[in-house]
Amino acid sequence: MLELRLVQGNLLKKVLEAVKDLVTDANFDCSSTGFSLQAMDSSHVALVALLLRSEGFEHYRCDRNVSMGMNLNNMAKMLKCAGNDDIVTIKADDGSDTVTFMFESPNQDKIADFEMKLMDIDSEHLGIPEAEYHAIVRMPSSEFARICKDLSSIGDTVVISVTKEGVKFSTRGDIGNANVVCRQNTTVDKPEESTTIEMHEPVSLTFALRYMNSFTKATPLSSTVTISLSSELPVVVEYKIAEMGYIRFYLAPKIEDEEEDVKP
Amino acid sequence: MGIKGLTKLLADNAPKGMKENKFEGYFGRKIAIDASMSIYQFLIVVGRTGMETLTNEAGEVTSHLQGMFTRTIRLLETGIKPVYVFDGQPPELKKQELAKRYSKRADATEDLATALENGDKEGIEKYSKRTVKVTKQHNEDCKRLLRLMGVPVVEAPSEAEAECAALCKSGKVYAVASEDMDSLTFGAPRFLRHLMDPSSKKIPVMEFEITKVLEQLELTMEQFVDLCILCGCDYCDSIKGIGGQTALKLIRQHGSIENILENINKERYHIPDEWAYKEARQLFMEPLVSAPDEQSELKWTAPDEEGLIKFLVNENGFNNDRVTKAVEKIKAAKDKSSQGRLESFFKPAVSSSLPIKRKETDTKTAKESASKKSKPPAGKKKKK
Repeated sequence: MLELRLVQGNLLKKVLEAVKDLVTDANFDCSSTGFSLQAMDSSHVALVALLLRSEGFEHYRCDRNVSMGMNLNNMAKMLKCAGNDDIVTIKADDGSDTVTFMFESPNQDKIADFEMKLMDIDSEHLGIPEAEYHAIVRMPSSEFARICKDLSSIGDTVVISVTKEGVKFSTRGDIGNANVVCRQNTTVDKPEESTTIEMHEPVSLTFALRYMNSFTKATPLSSTVTISLSSELPVVVEYKIAEMGYIRFYLAPKIEDEEEDVKP
Repeated sequence: MGIKGLTKLLADNAPKGMKENKFEGYFGRKIAIDASMSIYQFLIVVGRTGMETLTNEAGEVTSHLQGMFTRTIRLLETGIKPVYVFDGQPPELKKQELAKRYSKRADATEDLATALENGDKEGIEKYSKRTVKVTKQHNEDCKRLLRLMGVPVVEAPSEAEAECAALCKSGKVYAVASEDMDSLTFGAPRFLRHLMDPSSKKIPVMEFEITKVLEQLELTMEQFVDLCILCGCDYCDSIKGIGGQTALKLIRQHGSIENILENINKERYHIPDEWAYKEARQLFMEPLVSAPDEQSELKWTAPDEEGLIKFLVNENGFNNDRVTKAVEKIKAAKDKSSQGRLESFFKPAVSSSLPIKRKETDTKTAKESASKKSKPPAGKKKKK
């Protein structure tokens, strides 16, 4: 038996919009600690990890650890039917092959039930080790989205380099090249507009912009984004979700050739 | 060629050991390919109409070069890093099979002559395909072409498939690609089919994982090899009247060919005289391959543009523009193969949660294994 009641039903809609283009089918895992998802894109280059902690729900009941395989496009279709202020409840019975989304309007005068079929998904779960990153950049999420969008009109890849001066995003394409440098900036009035850089070591990595652009679909979830970089690890692009969790995107870097260090 | 009916047998009995993947999903992967098999296919298929094949000015066949060139570029463009493995000396046991093929080819040559006399078009195409033979020259041509393209070439001490499997076992490559199911019998951990099919056919790549196959068949590797021998392989005869399904049943029941021979009804099944199944098994289990530390480093380099033009355009009559364009493609492809994969950084972990949805297959297998558990004690009672 599973029953999760989320007052800010809106959050779930935004989460789905953020992941449905990257992953088509995924298993949602539900345990006593929270509601989570881990899935890779079909080419195994990017991974999304979502966590909504149980404390963030108004009511949270999950008797045993279960996973529910869902088609994210279909799930998004159903959630689109919820109003922006609706309370969303996710329900499933043990052994059932469906999940129910219940939408209640804030003044309780309208209640809608949407039942969706579950699916069997063979998905590989990856263990993601806790790591110390060489550099952590925190910046306004809208700024990051803008940079990715702008650069992708010029090139296919972005080089993100962090130095003492700041963080530099650069690309190169047939028509020319582009560089955007963001400096540390903590003097602004609003903390969500500041840019902070924690750097232990300078780092420079290359990524496919296509994926970065897909990650920025999560921008409505949070006003800031955290980008963690290490030279021998995938980048982590994290959006916090209103005190209750996060959505993290991992992206494997491009390796400038003559490697032989990467396994086949 | 290969193991008779193994694909179907696996599809029926080990569906979880095989899965279909998109061709594009293999970018960045190093893949060992059995070259001789590919060349043979190219000679049969590429640019053939009836008796006519692609030739250069001197009248020598160039179908193999054409095929090798375009297919390899397709792999490179996707970001796959191919390594081609060529056959060395055939093992003693295969000589019989090769002699058979030789005589078949001789028959086909005769048939072709008759078909030509009678002007039988279908017959001409059919028999001329059967007369195809991969010569040393074809192999050398392809090696030269591949080296010019910057693709590594490996010469196997004996069977190419066995060497491919060894490369895969030692982790030098991600998987083995072939159309010949032998690769699985040689123990290639991961085996791909249809990787070399033309893109126009739109056939997805079929990936086999040996550990999962064995798990589902409930066999050990040695038993799997015995199963393949019973199905019919290149190295020895099989028992007439025993096909894949029966072979699987017998192996599961008796555990090895030796035990089967003791228990089988010899009136009903004719066991071949001087049946060399032990030698065949030996060959599959311990084939002649390079030891892991003898395997050469695999390196993918930039293509030699001048060399390619000289070889393909000047010597073999390829269109100059096409070759130049193709070289551009190879160069551009370098960028694609540089994209890393998450699996190289994160290792698979086991998820603790069970699906909320009841799986029908799960309950079924649970029942099956339960009934199996109850069988052995019952058997023991009878013996007492």
